[in-house]
Amino acid sequence: MSDHYQVPETPAQENISFELNGEAVTRSAPSGETLLDILRESGQITSARAGCRVGRCGACQVLLDGRAVPSCLVMAWQLPGHHVETVEGLNKDPDFLSVRDALASESALQCGYCTPGFAVSLVAGIRQRRQGSTVDLTESVAGNLCRCTGYGGLRRAIDQLSAPGYPDEADGQGASLSEEQ
Amino acid sequence: MAHENSPGGVGNLVTLDGDSIRKATSAMDLAQRIEGRLAYATDQRDLSGLLYGAILRSACAHALITRVDISKALEMPGVHAVIKANDVPGLNCFGIVIRDQPVFCDERVRYEGDAIAAVAADTPEQARAALDAIEVDYQPLPVVSDAALAEQQTALHNSHEKHGGSNLLARETLECGDLDDAFSRCAVIVEHHYQTPRQMHAFMETEGGVAIPDGKGGVLFRVSCQSGHRDAEQLADILGVAHEQVTVESTVTGGAFGGKDELTVQPAAGLLALKTGRPVMIHLDRFESCRTGMKRHPVSVKMTTGCDAEGRLLAHKAEAILDTGAYASLGPAVLENYLDHATAPLYRIEAYRVSGRLVYTNNGVCGAFRGFGGNQATFAVESQLDELAHGLGIEPAALRRINLRSPGDAGSRNQTVRWTAPPAGVLAAAVASPLWSRPDTDTGRWLTGTGMAMGAQGNGLGDGLPDSGGGRISLSPAGRICVEFGFSDYGQNIVESIIRSVCNGVGCREADVEVLLGSSRGPDSGPTSASRSTVLVHGVLASILPRWMDVVRGHASRVSGHLEEGLAFGPGGVFFNGRQVLSYRELAESASPDEMAASASRDFPVAPDSGQPVGRYLQLQIATVARVAVDRLTGRVRVTDLHHVTAAGRVIYPPGYLGQIEGAAVMGQGMALTEDMTTRDGSYLADNLDQYLIPTFHDAPLQRVDVLDDTPEDDPFPVRGVGELGIEAVAPAITAAIEAATGVRVRRLPVDPGDLLVAMAAKEQTL
Repeated sequence: MSDHYQVPETPAQENISFELNGEAVTRSAPSGETLLDILRESGQITSARAGCRVGRCGACQVLLDGRAVPSCLVMAWQLPGHHVETVEGLNKDPDFLSVRDALASESALQCGYCTPGFAVSLVAGIRQRRQGSTVDLTESVAGNLCRCTGYGGLRRAIDQLSAPGYPDEADGQGASLSEEQ
Repeated sequence: MAHENSPGGVGNLVTLDGDSIRKATSAMDLAQRIEGRLAYATDQRDLSGLLYGAILRSACAHALITRVDISKALEMPGVHAVIKANDVPGLNCFGIVIRDQPVFCDERVRYEGDAIAAVAADTPEQARAALDAIEVDYQPLPVVSDAALAEQQTALHNSHEKHGGSNLLARETLECGDLDDAFSRCAVIVEHHYQTPRQMHAFMETEGGVAIPDGKGGVLFRVSCQSGHRDAEQLADILGVAHEQVTVESTVTGGAFGGKDELTVQPAAGLLALKTGRPVMIHLDRFESCRTGMKRHPVSVKMTTGCDAEGRLLAHKAEAILDTGAYASLGPAVLENYLDHATAPLYRIEAYRVSGRLVYTNNGVCGAFRGFGGNQATFAVESQLDELAHGLGIEPAALRRINLRSPGDAGSRNQTVRWTAPPAGVLAAAVASPLWSRPDTDTGRWLTGTGMAMGAQGNGLGDGLPDSGGGRISLSPAGRICVEFGFSDYGQNIVESIIRSVCNGVGCREADVEVLLGSSRGPDSGPTSASRSTVLVHGVLASILPRWMDVVRGHASRVSGHLEEGLAFGPGGVFFNGRQVLSYRELAESASPDEMAASASRDFPVAPDSGQPVGRYLQLQIATVARVAVDRLTGRVRVTDLHHVTAAGRVIYPPGYLGQIEGAAVMGQGMALTEDMTTRDGSYLADNLDQYLIPTFHDAPLQRVDVLDDTPEDDPFPVRGVGELGIEAVAPAITAAIEAATGVRVRRLPVDPGDLLVAMAAKEQTL
């Protein structure tokens, strides 16, 4: 080992402004910090989770201007002017509620660590479909890994979400899962 | 649920389909998980004074340490503490069976994941920067990387008197009958080598948690783990404090599968917390998780099996080597379970001798992993049966039918066994699978084929390990029926099973029940492993629910003035003549919580036979039919369908049962086709999920699960745990299907597409 160990320079903090779940926010971060770390360090967002930090597992998936992206691959300098949505901000969104209800009713999760990432990917897929995309909804989860379920429940949930007219003709209010049964 | 008349008129065959799932799902908890509202171990940020810890790992797979200098790291910005071996006040070692793994190495490192020092700093970046400033000098030792040669090479643990300073950690043989005589009477004998990979658990949440000092020398751990009680005992010994000063709470855990059974970040986090007096969080990144975490034991086995001209199994021999890596962990127990499964528990065999050697190497550390050695053995056993059937010129199913045990038979180790259905019924249902009637096709590029395999799986920790568990039920001040167990919740659906059992037993509704799991302050239920939780939960609840209901009914009678006999439990409270007279909340307010509580502990059911060791008493079965398509251009194998027939007692919570079978099966598919943490000179070649490939949505097959439940009405253990059953027979079913498609039998997992292509080409040339 060297006797001349250099203390690494602390990267300069910058003020990064972007839109998070519909609200303008400014965060102080080095320009190379990942969106994943920016979100988690605030303490307010826990649904984006580190699984691999190389964009492979999808556990940190968020919506960036409506497109599903792994937040571990988005850098702070790329954020200004853009809109980030996480599951925390989607809880009134009809597409999210459809996805949530489909996942819950088909028991499409076990430990749940990967699930918000899957939900975000499916919301993006449904939105793209509404805008005319003919891409199969299963393609939207190609970037998400789940180790618990074997994807059986997820397949059933996607079948539900892919049924003709669903979820666009459903009431979009979900099956009131959050209320006391 | 779709009911069918089962083939051969055996039992009640039920398909777990979407309807049964949707009706049964406990949507409340699931919605919370989907919305990201459940707090995992590393979501805890609201702790004042929280520091971040990081652990320095070895730079060598095998070396002596000649110097560790932390002085520069101590001067780094933001650093509050740097600790190494001499900062461990108690025992500098841990391990569930043998405490042979140092918390911090000071003389020698034995694998790349070995810890040497740890840092606590204000930010994770500062902690990592300080790690870089720790100076360590190594004197490299020869790396023991080949399990087959390990016993002749430098001993990793020279203090291991038991084995005369060799790398042999354990050896064991199970035998019955006169093997030589049995072989001499065989008409067909097959002998082959089989190899299974060093599979990684690859839970989505890597190891992590927080240690919080109580200011009086004690520590509260909130971590992702599998056994709060056992962790607490080991941690107290490491921290050098009294056992009651350590509390371990298992947080909601993002997958474990056996890989969080040993201590992970707890020792370093706890020591740093005591040193700094502040809460310390450690969360391994995927690279560190890959490098340090336990893996599945790779097994290399030579198996020799023979039958007579009628197909009756006469003789069976196995010689296995299991690579346990640098430390024992649960290796000796895995060896025992491997051998138990290598005796082919489903089949009658006149004589067998199966033996295994468990050796230390510098290849990481292996330990508990769903299947626990059993599925490695079943891969070889089931392949051997197919080979014998080919040798005799009969159908593989026919050979199995001749040899399957009947419910009245003793087990393979001459122990009493409780099946929940006749093995012949499981086989018959698998033979009737619609997958067999799909034509095998050759599209030029894709070759398809169908194959099957069977497996048995015991419940419980097995011989020699103390195996008991307790639970407690009470009425919380808020009026919820509160059920406590020591198990962890890592997504195995135990919460839903408990809720369902309580609702069934009491007559209340789901919203009346609260489940508290995983605290070392709660009841000791033993570890969350070995498919044992469900059996224990059911047993404990069967014992405490009636007692608890008597106590509460008596109290309700005194409070309400109604006769005890007329009071009934129902949704929301206690009823008299169909009218609610007291809500659970009113009941709770009328007494102290301890007045309306009941608890019990019971031993895990084991075979009532004398002598040790004995085989598993509660046995489950599975038959898996696999359909594959093999790409003639690339040698890649796609599993298109898996059809399982299971016999594992009553289904308490259909979504959980189905999810466990489906999830374990896809994990088994990964082991069969893509997953192997290959090492070279003790170094892992993969360090993240972009190189270590677990199945994705698009790799996963369509699956169907049929449940055969013939559990006798008077069976005292009608509910069994199915957490491991689904992985048991997948790999041999896939290789059987590959053989049906290509004519090639693969005996080394994961299937290597290049090797398969070469073998296919050779096969076509000889045709």
